[in-house]
Amino acid sequence: MNELQFQALLPFIVLAAASILVILSIAFGRSHTFIQVAGFGMMCLVVLAMWLVRDALPREIAPLLVVDGLGALFTGLIIFSVLVIGLLSFIYFEEREENPKEYYILLFLATLGSAVLTISRHFISLFIGLELLSVSLYALIAYLRTRNNAVEAGMKYLMLAALSSAFLLFGMALIYLETGSMEFTGIARGLPSSGTPILFIMGMGFLLVAIGFKLALAPFHLWAADVYQGAPSPVTVFIATVSKTGVFAVLLRFAQAVHLQQYPAAMTIVVVISVASMIVGNLLALQQQNIKRLLAYSSIAHFGYLLVAFLPGDAAGAEAGFFYLLAYSITLLSAFGVITLLSTRQEDAGDLSGYRGLFWRDPVMGAVLAVALLSLAGIPLTAGFLGKFLVLGAGIGRQLWVPVIVLVLTSVIGLYFYLRVISTLFEKMPPAPARARPLHPFFYYATYAVLILLMGLSFWLGTFPRPAIREIEALLNIRLL
Amino acid sequence: MDIILLQANTLTTGANQNSSFSYFPIGVQLLFALGFVGLVLGVTHLLGPKRKTAEKLQNFESGIEGVGNARHPMAIKYFLVAILFVLFDVEVIFFYPYAVNFRGLGWNGFVEVLLFVGFFLAGFIYIIKKGALTWED
Amino acid sequence: MNELAYIPALPLLGFLVLALGGRRMSQKAVAITGAGSVCAAALLTMVLCGQFFGSGAVGAAAGHASPASVHYDLQLGQWFHAGALSISFGLRVDSLSLVFMFIITFVGALIHLYSTAFMRGDRDYARFFACMNLFVCAMLILVMADNLVLLYLGWEGVGLCSYLLIGFWYDSPANCLAANKAFIITRIGDTALLIGLFLLFKELATLDIAAILRQSPGHFRLGSPVITLIALLFLAGGMGKSAQLPLQTWLPDAMAGPSPVSALIHAATMVTAGVYLIARMHVLFQLSPLAMTVTAITGALTLLVAACSAMVQTDIKRILAYSTISQIGYMFLALGVGAYGAAIFHFFTHAFFKALLFLAAGAVIESLHHEHNIFRMGGLKDKLPVVYWTFLAGAASLAALPLVSAGFYSKEQILWYAWRAANGGTALWLAALAGAVITAFYSTRLLLVVFWGEAKTSVSSRPGRLITIPLIILAFLSLTAGFVEWPHNLLPVHLFSGFLQSVLPAPATRSGGETIGQLLAVMATLAGIGVGYQLYHRQPEIGIITRWQQRPLAAAIRNFLFGGWGFDRLYDTLFVRPLVSITRLNRADIFDQLYVAVVRAARTGHRLLSASQNGSLRWYAVGVLMGILFILTLLL
Repeated sequence: MNELQFQALLPFIVLAAASILVILSIAFGRSHTFIQVAGFGMMCLVVLAMWLVRDALPREIAPLLVVDGLGALFTGLIIFSVLVIGLLSFIYFEEREENPKEYYILLFLATLGSAVLTISRHFISLFIGLELLSVSLYALIAYLRTRNNAVEAGMKYLMLAALSSAFLLFGMALIYLETGSMEFTGIARGLPSSGTPILFIMGMGFLLVAIGFKLALAPFHLWAADVYQGAPSPVTVFIATVSKTGVFAVLLRFAQAVHLQQYPAAMTIVVVISVASMIVGNLLALQQQNIKRLLAYSSIAHFGYLLVAFLPGDAAGAEAGFFYLLAYSITLLSAFGVITLLSTRQEDAGDLSGYRGLFWRDPVMGAVLAVALLSLAGIPLTAGFLGKFLVLGAGIGRQLWVPVIVLVLTSVIGLYFYLRVISTLFEKMPPAPARARPLHPFFYYATYAVLILLMGLSFWLGTFPRPAIREIEALLNIRLL
Repeated sequence: MDIILLQANTLTTGANQNSSFSYFPIGVQLLFALGFVGLVLGVTHLLGPKRKTAEKLQNFESGIEGVGNARHPMAIKYFLVAILFVLFDVEVIFFYPYAVNFRGLGWNGFVEVLLFVGFFLAGFIYIIKKGALTWED
Repeated sequence: MNELAYIPALPLLGFLVLALGGRRMSQKAVAITGAGSVCAAALLTMVLCGQFFGSGAVGAAAGHASPASVHYDLQLGQWFHAGALSISFGLRVDSLSLVFMFIITFVGALIHLYSTAFMRGDRDYARFFACMNLFVCAMLILVMADNLVLLYLGWEGVGLCSYLLIGFWYDSPANCLAANKAFIITRIGDTALLIGLFLLFKELATLDIAAILRQSPGHFRLGSPVITLIALLFLAGGMGKSAQLPLQTWLPDAMAGPSPVSALIHAATMVTAGVYLIARMHVLFQLSPLAMTVTAITGALTLLVAACSAMVQTDIKRILAYSTISQIGYMFLALGVGAYGAAIFHFFTHAFFKALLFLAAGAVIESLHHEHNIFRMGGLKDKLPVVYWTFLAGAASLAALPLVSAGFYSKEQILWYAWRAANGGTALWLAALAGAVITAFYSTRLLLVVFWGEAKTSVSSRPGRLITIPLIILAFLSLTAGFVEWPHNLLPVHLFSGFLQSVLPAPATRSGGETIGQLLAVMATLAGIGVGYQLYHRQPEIGIITRWQQRPLAAAIRNFLFGGWGFDRLYDTLFVRPLVSITRLNRADIFDQLYVAVVRAARTGHRLLSASQNGSLRWYAVGVLMGILFILTLLL
């Protein structure tokens, strides 16, 4: 590994060091606040490192990794999400768990796994990254071990993730059998120039099972609602944003490397999965009364939409896909931020009845949640609208009429349940008793500030997307040919 | 013999790399292992005194009842110690290939292994400090 | 002339103040704001008139016509801009606008003063004045606009205010229905006008009034279909607003509003917006002989139809409403024969005497516990002398009592032009003459039944000074306003037509027959008055009416006329019922079923899929496996 390669890997090394730092801090008995601040500092260091290495890109660390614009972009989104999740975690765990510190080790390890996914160009690094992510998530989901549904959720995730990993490995093996390589570029070289490589397509099918599971796409979505509901809110949003971002990045990279779009069979699978996800997600959410479950179903639908951007396999699609993920992450972070703030010691604020008249009790939180839901529904002026618009544009550009039409129709159904929640927020209700003073005013208000910031960001992306899109475009163009 | 077993790779870098002869050391080891097991079992069977009771005829399950309810409580400490043992055991395995390739990997490899050991130690310190290995509360 | 902008701005300011803070203001403050803003606008208008006379218009009036018409322009900035269409916020005042502005602000100010007393005690005092001020502002914009889009803004603005004020006492459903009716029927005309605007813009690529007037003669061929269509669409717009046949049915019902509203909006100003529009766009009409003829016939028919209905009404305000329709019919007749000046002159005198009649009627109604039926009135001559004398002046003017009333001068002019103008003819003239007889008849009937005879309802209160002073001023003007313009053969005083000469051309006439015509007109008026006197004052002795009432045919005719010639029933059968039945047919909206089906499908899907979320890990694993099977099936 030469110096330039080391430089390119610096952000990931800092990320790895963060978990070691947390381990040692716990070993030497530092407080939760110290760990929180140190973790925040390390994440800032990661951002700084990314800033420093931006000129060293793209750089290949053969044979496992490649740090290019796509990797940097998705890693940036991951780090951004983790920064917010870290902040949300403080209040959440400080008030609920006598032992909140190990959480950060797992959080950073999972982040590292997800980040490794974004830069992997080899099945081995893909698998390592995925397992690092999954294994950390098993523990994270069941972190509040005194809660029954948390343990249940962790167990379910463990079982099903193991199952999907098995298929992942089998798919990799089949592809290896066909092409004799585990590197993405090597696989592309090993594919026959004409005809359908049946083993490769089979392997791809199994691979898509595992990826579909991680992205909670129908019909591999069944775990999503239970896990989202059972997991602590910050972990839920981690699953919804960070882990899916990493997996989507590696899917994108792999598809680009092997030119997946030229195999109609594989594309048919993706179209079916996408359409099924859009329909299933929106229909399941229709009358859901638990907001965490509702967001789980909504995320199923949203990743169905995202696949529409993945289908074309061109620059516009990748751009739309990333923008969509960005908008989606911002939105979910703010929505779960509100859920986290509203959660009590005993249980997370899942039931919709708890949100009745939220806007009148706490206008800021009500507004943040309402804007987040509007963004999810894709109402203009919010980032979600623009994301959906770009995705539609990418789909229409390639005449993908079936998924595009399903997208539009299911969005209409989706609007119903988002608006249902929003109308709940604005219902009149007798004034609730004043809330207890927050235990940690600094972190409480910092979270508040971040939520408002996220709302502003959503509006900004929704109204002046040009600079962001230009930046995305520029970064996606930094790649090894 | 030891050297042949551990460095099978370096030894077979001759001209006839793919000949079936290159599997010869593995075959030898296999025979040796089978022979050893068979010999020991046979000899103890012949030499040892025999007193057959009901308990003795049961399968040995590390002190746990072979038949009955599987869900009986067990101190988590057993599990913890066992899993930590496995963890460190597996990590130690990584030293074998390194030791073999010590010269070939050079200083670069040395630094990498030091890092590995560093991580390893950090985990170990954490375990010690958390009191995971103290048997008495 | 920057003050120009203040004239509509002052009422607008009044509206804003009253609309935003009216609830917190005392009645006195509301009255001062509401009436004050319009009075100030009236004063400004008079100053403007003075300047106008000083700047050469007088020269034109004296006969030395200046080639360039005198006008003031004021650009207040861009309103909006879209493609080739650029609409400025510009005002343009020439003599035609000035006549309207004078009536709007001056009569408006008097009516506002009257209202301060008339509406006292109403719980929505501020709302009333806010709407009235907004109306004055919108009406001023209508007549001052220098482009048709701005004019249309004012046009819709006055429609809105009319709607708000007809339904002012919204507690009673009948008032709301009347307001709806007025709004919806005038919308028909408005839509026609809007289409006309579009066509005009398509043809000329401009909506600036001056530019249109300048370019049209060169652009359109005389009598070409396009210009005829545009002119007819404009006419339809005017018909809606000015309650002309066949869109006249809303005006009698519009009397549901307070009396000052009827006086200002439904007599003096808004209903004459159609007259203004046609006069303003007379160049377009001039290019289309067919449209001119249609205008004239519409006017003639309307004046007869409405006058006949006015004969048999019993509600004092409905009589006046039908009379208003009929008088505007005269104006349309004049416009149709090309006598624009005569139409505007009649508008000028009509505004005074009809506003006066409405205000006096309002005073009578107030004094008699809100009694509207004239046959329960009577004998008010001695009890309400001021109202009686002023009402007499108004009625005389309406009946066109020769020489002493303003109505005579304007109506005589229209009659003469209807007969002798190039476009006129004997038929039109005879219709107008018959209308004059009927008008005189029902004016007499109204006056006699209300004020003479024996009292049938006791007088509860007497009008105060704020009510009587506007009445007196208006009465004075009803009698004298006509002296500015004399018939050709009597006195060479033509101040009014001279004033308008720069804007509106005088019609080509066939000479002769002036004196005969005047004599016939005078005789018509006197005949009407005589019949009215005979039938109603000496009714007890003669008893003709009682006998008529017993005859089925006469009673049927009377009911037919009373119901406004059955137009309401006709429209009800032709449009309302079919539409209502279509709506009823489609009550369970057919297209709605589609959406209901979508909803039902979504619900069913939701239920079915929810069943899959049963929380059982085994089942979930099976789900994953089924997905794999599915993918494999897809591949094979």
